[in-house]
Amino acid sequence: MQEIVLVLSLAAIAAVAVAFLAVLRRLEPAAGGGGPTGSVDALRGRILWGAVIAGAAIAVATLLPWPHAVPAGPGVVPVHVRASMWAWELDRVELPIGVPVVFHATSTDVNHGFGVFDPGGRLLFQTQAMPGWVNKVAWTFTEPGRYRVLCLEYCGLAHHGMMAEFEVRGTS
Amino acid sequence: MASTTMADRTVAGFEPARLALVLGGLVFLVMMLLGLLMKASQADLLPLDPRLFYEIMTAHGIGMVGTAGLTGIGILWHFLGRHVTLDERAFWAFLGLFLSGVVLILGAIFLGGSAAAWTFLYPLPAVSGGVWSPNVAVLYLAGLALVGVGFLLVHLECARALRAAWGGLGRALAWPLLFRGRQDPVPPPTVVAAAAVTIFDLLGLVFGAAVILISILEILLAGVGLDPLVAKNMIYFFGHVFINATIYMAVIAVYEIVPDYTGRRWKTSRVFAGAWSVVLLFVMAVYPHHLLQDTVMPAWALVAGQVLSYGSAVPLVAVTTLGLLSYLYRSGARLDLSASLLVLGVAGWTAGVMPAWIDGIVAVNKVMHNTLWVPGHFHMYLILGQVAMVWGTLSWLAHGRNVAGLSGGDRLLLGSYVVGGAGLTLGFLVAGAASVPRRWAVHEPSWIVHDLPAVFFAILVLVGAAGFFLRALPGLLTAAGATREAG
Repeated sequence: MQEIVLVLSLAAIAAVAVAFLAVLRRLEPAAGGGGPTGSVDALRGRILWGAVIAGAAIAVATLLPWPHAVPAGPGVVPVHVRASMWAWELDRVELPIGVPVVFHATSTDVNHGFGVFDPGGRLLFQTQAMPGWVNKVAWTFTEPGRYRVLCLEYCGLAHHGMMAEFEVRGTS
Repeated sequence: MASTTMADRTVAGFEPARLALVLGGLVFLVMMLLGLLMKASQADLLPLDPRLFYEIMTAHGIGMVGTAGLTGIGILWHFLGRHVTLDERAFWAFLGLFLSGVVLILGAIFLGGSAAAWTFLYPLPAVSGGVWSPNVAVLYLAGLALVGVGFLLVHLECARALRAAWGGLGRALAWPLLFRGRQDPVPPPTVVAAAAVTIFDLLGLVFGAAVILISILEILLAGVGLDPLVAKNMIYFFGHVFINATIYMAVIAVYEIVPDYTGRRWKTSRVFAGAWSVVLLFVMAVYPHHLLQDTVMPAWALVAGQVLSYGSAVPLVAVTTLGLLSYLYRSGARLDLSASLLVLGVAGWTAGVMPAWIDGIVAVNKVMHNTLWVPGHFHMYLILGQVAMVWGTLSWLAHGRNVAGLSGGDRLLLGSYVVGGAGLTLGFLVAGAASVPRRWAVHEPSWIVHDLPAVFFAILVLVGAAGFFLRALPGLLTAAGATREAG
């Protein structure tokens, strides 16, 4: 996911840069004078309609199924997560492979960010841990190993030390 | 319409908006230095105690946002004064409140040890884990309140002046042109932009002031019981609107100055008026994209956050960006440092919006939120966007249009700033894609590979910025500098 997002973003940024550089190379007046008024209006129309169509397609492709959907039922493993300055409490530290796990995250004091990193250090998912509320996030682990929880919402002096670990066991 | 303009008044005395811009330029440099210190610390070149790091981080964040606001309102006030009659006393009062607030904020941070980040995410300022006292949190919040009241005052004066000159904010927004196809006279782009920003920034500031006041009451009268989710909504509504307003105010400089170079006056068309009305709505409605990882939020709000996040980029690209490119194309413009920085500002803003709206996709946000991806995009549309527009405006106020174009020195400074800004912000994006968290005082060894180049690029940015400021300063401070534009 992250690599795709990075490549798409760099491509969009490059397109902006190319558009500006192309115009900056064409500042000298045209032989006939005047600017590209008519063609700009047509281009603007194409951009607007193109953006609307692309936006609708992106919305459908990324919102269905709903990214925050949480499964329910007897096969789901619940994990209750409680954040406090500056430590995590998880009521399970061994989790299975191939079974949906639903994390229920809350906090006893300020806002924290419950971010789960795989053994290679890649952020898999996150949710906010907030006092008075329980945010839920679901994940099905496919690889065994030691996973880390890091705080992703600034929460005070020892924010960077707020870590925990859990083990995912089983065969993929 | 306006009998006396701000530009006329610069002949008699020092215009307060110019003072705001000069102060803002100076503070930008100091804040960039603080940013460099943080990167050097994360790179393990100059390790800072975490407590000092987070104090610096708080000062850097609130300082940059506040100064972007200060310079943005300075640009708006300066150029709006060409079209409507503004009461200068409101701006002086704003400056007094702003500076008083800054004293309280700096005292709370560096004397009281407050390090709640600029977002003061409730209940963090009050609940510090014993690191700073509740009284210090009150001091910090009171400083924010003073700054906010200052902005409220100056926006109210803008609203009054716009209504007086145009017979209502709807007419200043060119709604007769937009909805009925004709208006005489048509408000210039600066008036349309100023009207939109005034409306949404006023609403943002009201919500910001409310959550600050409730937070203070919560500390002083324990048990007021503000819901953290409600507080988060209010804070992000205020914060999102305010930081976006800084850019939308700065772009007024592009509308006013670039035509000096192209010879083509920026016009208010129906599309332009429509785009600004869309901006007015979307800037306020899009804020839930800051809460995409609060799954207790209603799903419709998060969907709206994603969809509007994308939609809000469209008016920018289709109107301001494409408009600027079309005005420049075959115009015969000879770009000097001022114009180059203004063009860079629109390019950087547009480029920075791209990773920002991609981050506004719920599924993407799940793995990018609060990583260095986030400072990647906002540093891009600030360093290469809003702040570049401020440097361009300062240079133009100091020297006017330089018919000779870019000098060798200009090219060096510009190159340093652009390479530094692009390298720093793209590096942030790469680090975000590698899952490096933001706002961590201490970086793990595997993350430092991202920090070392960032230090180098941050130095380049600082060199370029210092060069822009120091070259403009003498012209800005002299009477000649003050009168040149009025002539």
